[in-house]
Amino acid sequence: MTLPRLKPWIALAVVAALQTAVLAWMIIDRTILIKTGKEIVLPVRPVDPRDLFRGQYVRLGYDVSSVPLRLVEGPRPVGNAAFYVTLEAQEGGGYVPVRLTASRPRETGPKQIVLKARTFFRFPTAEQNSSGTVQVRYGIESYFVPEGEGPRLEELARDKKLAVLVAVDAKGNAALKGIVIDGKLQYSEQLL
Amino acid sequence: MLYRLRLERDLKRWQDKGLLTEAAAAAIRADLASTHWGIGAAGAFAILGAVLFGFAVMSFVAANWEGMSKLLRIVLLLATLWACYGGATFFFGRNLDRFGHAAVLGGIAVFGGSIMLIAQMYHMEGNPPDAVLLWTLGALVAAYLARSGPALAAAFVLMTVWSVYERNLSDGLDLGFLPVWAIGAFCAYALSWRPGLHLAAISLLVWIVPLGGLVLDQHAHWIVVLIGLAVGLAGSLGAKELDRVVGPVSGAVFAYGLAITIAALFILQFIDDRAIPQTRDPNGMLVLVLLAVLTLALLLAAMAWGIHTDNNGAMWIAYAAFAAEIFTLYAKTFGNLLNTSLFFLMAAIIVSGLAWLALRLHKRSHPLAGAVA
Repeated sequence: MTLPRLKPWIALAVVAALQTAVLAWMIIDRTILIKTGKEIVLPVRPVDPRDLFRGQYVRLGYDVSSVPLRLVEGPRPVGNAAFYVTLEAQEGGGYVPVRLTASRPRETGPKQIVLKARTFFRFPTAEQNSSGTVQVRYGIESYFVPEGEGPRLEELARDKKLAVLVAVDAKGNAALKGIVIDGKLQYSEQLL
Repeated sequence: MLYRLRLERDLKRWQDKGLLTEAAAAAIRADLASTHWGIGAAGAFAILGAVLFGFAVMSFVAANWEGMSKLLRIVLLLATLWACYGGATFFFGRNLDRFGHAAVLGGIAVFGGSIMLIAQMYHMEGNPPDAVLLWTLGALVAAYLARSGPALAAAFVLMTVWSVYERNLSDGLDLGFLPVWAIGAFCAYALSWRPGLHLAAISLLVWIVPLGGLVLDQHAHWIVVLIGLAVGLAGSLGAKELDRVVGPVSGAVFAYGLAITIAALFILQFIDDRAIPQTRDPNGMLVLVLLAVLTLALLLAAMAWGIHTDNNGAMWIAYAAFAAEIFTLYAKTFGNLLNTSLFFLMAAIIVSGLAWLALRLHKRSHPLAGAVA
């Protein structure tokens, strides 16, 4: 053994400190993303609002969750690797996907934003699916309903237009920041 | 335990034959008693206790989760983490190493649980296997710094889970496993913990065996057969060199090479339907029979080498594989009686031939053996 043997209490304190640092980094990384990320509002694909906030967590679907495969530019993403979807803001609000690339595009238009995405399973190969669409996830699809907020959000969401406020950083990572109902921010994520 | 029983029997026999004096036998027994064997009951219970403790903390946290603020949850998770490593320090300081290792294991469990719970709290999704990788790395750090075998065992289990998870999602070659595995193998070497080296070998084996289904035309199991044969040859023909350079490992290397070869041959013959022509196809039957004959010949050779080198592990693998091969072949070719009987005839001829050969070789190398028998 090349490493001089540490005293047990020092070694174990280093282990605990390193593991704590990893956990703290997870939280800090997320906090920075939510605090400093560029904000976009994504409409939630209409679902039955009665059950939406009833469970412990809901799965949110978006119009931009299905991306037509003809938008793939350059090499096709393979397997489980992350890829990038460029979204473009629409006149009446909301976004549409305009490009899907295996690597992060260098240049984007003024109304465009790039999100890092993955498929639910693996990316369809050219033979499997030459037309059609691919279902993608941006990491903003599950939402754990905060205790006590379910009934209120459900009441608010009834027959209303539901959207989420999303923070996106320069690398394309996205995080849910809040729930928007009829254009008004009704719930925002607590950081600590 | 089995070893002690066997040794006790042998000691008696040797004493009866006058090979061993009473004093020498007593000295051997005393030496055996003074050596610690394995983890032992206390250690096993301590480790089970640590696992149960981890579950208790997690279910307490989960049950009272909703009523707590995020800050309180995080404080609670971190406090539990530090309590585990604090407990480990306490036990190691009092030479209660087994309890110390159990506490380290508890700390690793809490670390993994905390990753999951924080990810849930902050709606993190990303790539789920990445969380398992992070957990694995945490376990490796704990194993190395706390010099803990049980923690290293946990790390090998976790990295295998991670690799299988990642492969299931990507259906591709998961090369990222190799550097993580190398860190684990280095830890096993640095701790000079032999069970750790076996765990390293087993987790690598789990990674190598399905490789043929992931590369080239996705039915390239012959690559794995070649890898296994190379490893097996290194452990048999290259045994002297290997043992001189690395230490006494050739027996284990041979056994693992055999396991890899046999597993790949099994996949080729019975599991991957499209690796060889179908058995309904007459040519397919011929290919299957040829592969089966090759497999059985290989197993017999492995048994012979196992007996020659007193390699119990390899012998048991070969026996089990021989039985499994015959049974699966019978089931697979059932209904095609002519081919089945043809196969068994060929197998019988080969086995008898090898037995005859083995006897000739044995007689030549031990001219007296025949006379004594």
